[in-house]
Amino acid sequence: MPDFNVRSDSVNVEQIMEQIRGRIREKRGVDYTEQQIRELAAVKLEKFLDPRGVRSDLLDQFRKAQPAYEPPELPNFAFEDATLFESHRAPIRWIRKLLMPLLKLLFNPNPLIQALNIQSRLNTINAERDARREAARRQMDQLYYELVHNLVVETTRTGIEVKNLKMRVESIASRLEFNERRARALEGAVVYRSTEPDEPRPQRPAPQIPQPRQQPPPRPQQQQQQQPRYTPPQPSYTAPVPVAPPTQTAIAPPAAVTEQPPQAQGAGVPGEGPGQRSRRRRRRRGRRGGGAAATIMGAPGSAQPGSTGAAGTVESVDQMDAIDRIDDDGSPDSEEMHDAAGEQVEQTGIAEADHAASTAEPPAVDQAPVEHAHVEQPRVELVAPLPAAPSATESSSVAPAEPAAAPPPARDPADHDPQ
Amino acid sequence: MKIAVVVQRYGQAINGGAELHARYIAEHLARHGQVEVLTTCSTDYVTWRNELEPGVEQVNGVPVRRFKVKHERDPLVFGKRSDRVFEQLHSLGDELDWLDAEGPTSPALIDYITKHASDYDYCLFFSYRYYHAYYGARASRGRAILVPTAERDETIGLSIFQPLFRGVRAIMYNSPEERAMIHAVAGNESVPGVVVGIGSDVPNNPQAARFRQKYNIRGPFAVYVGRIDQNKGCKELFEFFDGYLKDPAGKLSLVLIGNTLLPIPEHKRIRHLGFLDDTDKFEAMAAADALIMPSYYESLSMVALEAWALGRPVLANGKCDVLKGQCLRSNAGLFYETLGEFIGTLEAIEQNRWLAGSLGRNGRQYFKDNYDWPVIERKYLDMFERLKNEVPGPGGDPLPGWFDRRRQDLPAAQDVLAKLPKGPAGRHG
Repeated sequence: MPDFNVRSDSVNVEQIMEQIRGRIREKRGVDYTEQQIRELAAVKLEKFLDPRGVRSDLLDQFRKAQPAYEPPELPNFAFEDATLFESHRAPIRWIRKLLMPLLKLLFNPNPLIQALNIQSRLNTINAERDARREAARRQMDQLYYELVHNLVVETTRTGIEVKNLKMRVESIASRLEFNERRARALEGAVVYRSTEPDEPRPQRPAPQIPQPRQQPPPRPQQQQQQQPRYTPPQPSYTAPVPVAPPTQTAIAPPAAVTEQPPQAQGAGVPGEGPGQRSRRRRRRRGRRGGGAAATIMGAPGSAQPGSTGAAGTVESVDQMDAIDRIDDDGSPDSEEMHDAAGEQVEQTGIAEADHAASTAEPPAVDQAPVEHAHVEQPRVELVAPLPAAPSATESSSVAPAEPAAAPPPARDPADHDPQ
Repeated sequence: MKIAVVVQRYGQAINGGAELHARYIAEHLARHGQVEVLTTCSTDYVTWRNELEPGVEQVNGVPVRRFKVKHERDPLVFGKRSDRVFEQLHSLGDELDWLDAEGPTSPALIDYITKHASDYDYCLFFSYRYYHAYYGARASRGRAILVPTAERDETIGLSIFQPLFRGVRAIMYNSPEERAMIHAVAGNESVPGVVVGIGSDVPNNPQAARFRQKYNIRGPFAVYVGRIDQNKGCKELFEFFDGYLKDPAGKLSLVLIGNTLLPIPEHKRIRHLGFLDDTDKFEAMAAADALIMPSYYESLSMVALEAWALGRPVLANGKCDVLKGQCLRSNAGLFYETLGEFIGTLEAIEQNRWLAGSLGRNGRQYFKDNYDWPVIERKYLDMFERLKNEVPGPGGDPLPGWFDRRRQDLPAAQDVLAKLPKGPAGRHG
């Protein structure tokens, strides 16, 4: 929460709290308390379980509806040795006892007594076991109900979490979109430069073979720069209208023309199509085919084989390949890494160009205007801060034949996200 | 002017909120008149065991008269009676039994007030919830001024205290929230009252660097000062701070100062320093980026005021109406109710120096305007002047008779509490 829109000297805590809550909602979705989650779960339970007559607070309801289990009193009998001969009438009991030896002469009642006694005990044991089972089953039922309840609570929590994650994904997507727009704005500037050096490159003379015929007439400013030794332009230098539009139009190759419209379109459309990344990669490779940015822009000495600039170009190509590989996973982080690495590569190119310019032999006097015309313009653009799109002046000077460059992308709120 | 300050415990080493409040007030009013403290021989608020000698002694130049407590508190009986009056339909007799079980039951103190109330112009009773305030205010016959130090707990819902709030001469509230709550429960708007609070003797130039060096504390940190107890919201604080620690953007550590009743989470960014003296405590607060006040129940929170006096922002528990109201009125603190808010507010204070500085400046100004000692003393003296010109009212309702005490018609205190209005008072109290 690094920044607040409280501008006045007097802090308003209510306002700050509203902002904090707003940011929390933005970042994490609604922050539910445990109680709120349970309430939400209860609502869902009612929806699902009401048709079957079960309340949302089903465990309590279940316990209320189900009184404590008391095992039923199943009918049973007690059978002991004397059970057969018992009677509530004492004389009969006495007579039976008197005649028992006689009875036992006729048949043996002991197995019968024993069997019935065992049966009685079995009945008792079974009844107890059934009671225990029933009690256990009821406890299990309670556990199942509790489990179901907890599941519903957890499902609700998960649902909320999914919602929050969706919001985070949206936030990340907006950041990704912003980064891509920023990358497009940057590449728009770079790609456009790549078209320019490509045009005169076949015509660019070797240092020893001046071709003043193909060069545009030196402008007053360029005439001032026709010095024996090349002086790099200052970073604060704003791009002039360097080349007369007719000349630029005349020398623009068809490839450059065909590449410009997607760039212009992409700059105008906030989103990016599915094939845009591969197009961007192709553009980058196309740029790579012509050498590093500084090389493409015609930095003095950069085209010389074996020079420092050439070695730097190879390294830059390797780095760009690595970026492409990173880019393939399509993750936002990779995009950010790509941006950072791209900046690093381009800054390396600038540094190399500067270094080459300072160490290179002074070019021939008649070559100087051409070299200057190709060096100054891209350097000013590349030194400019990366996220900002080119200003209207720069756009008009850089691409006079195109519609205005994409406006600076609106600053994405997600970019302030401390996370 | 002769004033009696009646409080349940009193002493240099007693640091309970209401007791400290009473001591500060007694010592500062002693500059404007004759003050005598009437208290018990207890130092332990759980047992009320007689640990000090009865009689008169001097504490910081203020005479203190101590009386024996008749019996110690039996936690089992007190718990049972608390359950009865807080959660069930009950009678006045049940509430009086609860009050007797709560203590400190000191009939000797009440007898002394009964006999000598006329010796004093006013009797200041601290903490409405105890035996001495309930019976002492009745015994002082129109001289009672109550400093309720009421919190939003079940005790406020007990019926025996409603006549007490209506029967005293005046009430010195700690906060607008407390006043609103007592008005709602007792309907005592006609009783003169003023929101006063309490000041604090905060050093002018605390040595924050010395504290860091002494305790080897580096980096930014938030501090909690007070008893580390679940009732003070520390359990929730630990849970929330654990969530904050998982946020890679947060760099604050948590320093805990005070005796603990809870296990402290083991983490390299959580330090417990135990009980510190005032010098170290103030230096710790001066060194901290913020003070965290996680308590649910506060009638004022002196620690928060001290942090503000030192120009430090406060992060308070928004579930406590008083703390939330103080933050809103002072514009000197943020508050949280959920984990997300805790992390968000803590990060806001941590990462936005302008905000933290502004909150701290507001806090210092708020303290100066409302809680500086001259302001506090003036409010008390103004109230005494006002009461001097007013005719005392009829006093409190008579004690209920035998049948009234046994009528089981009083609602559970927690039900009464639930019906009381919630939320912080307005910005201007």
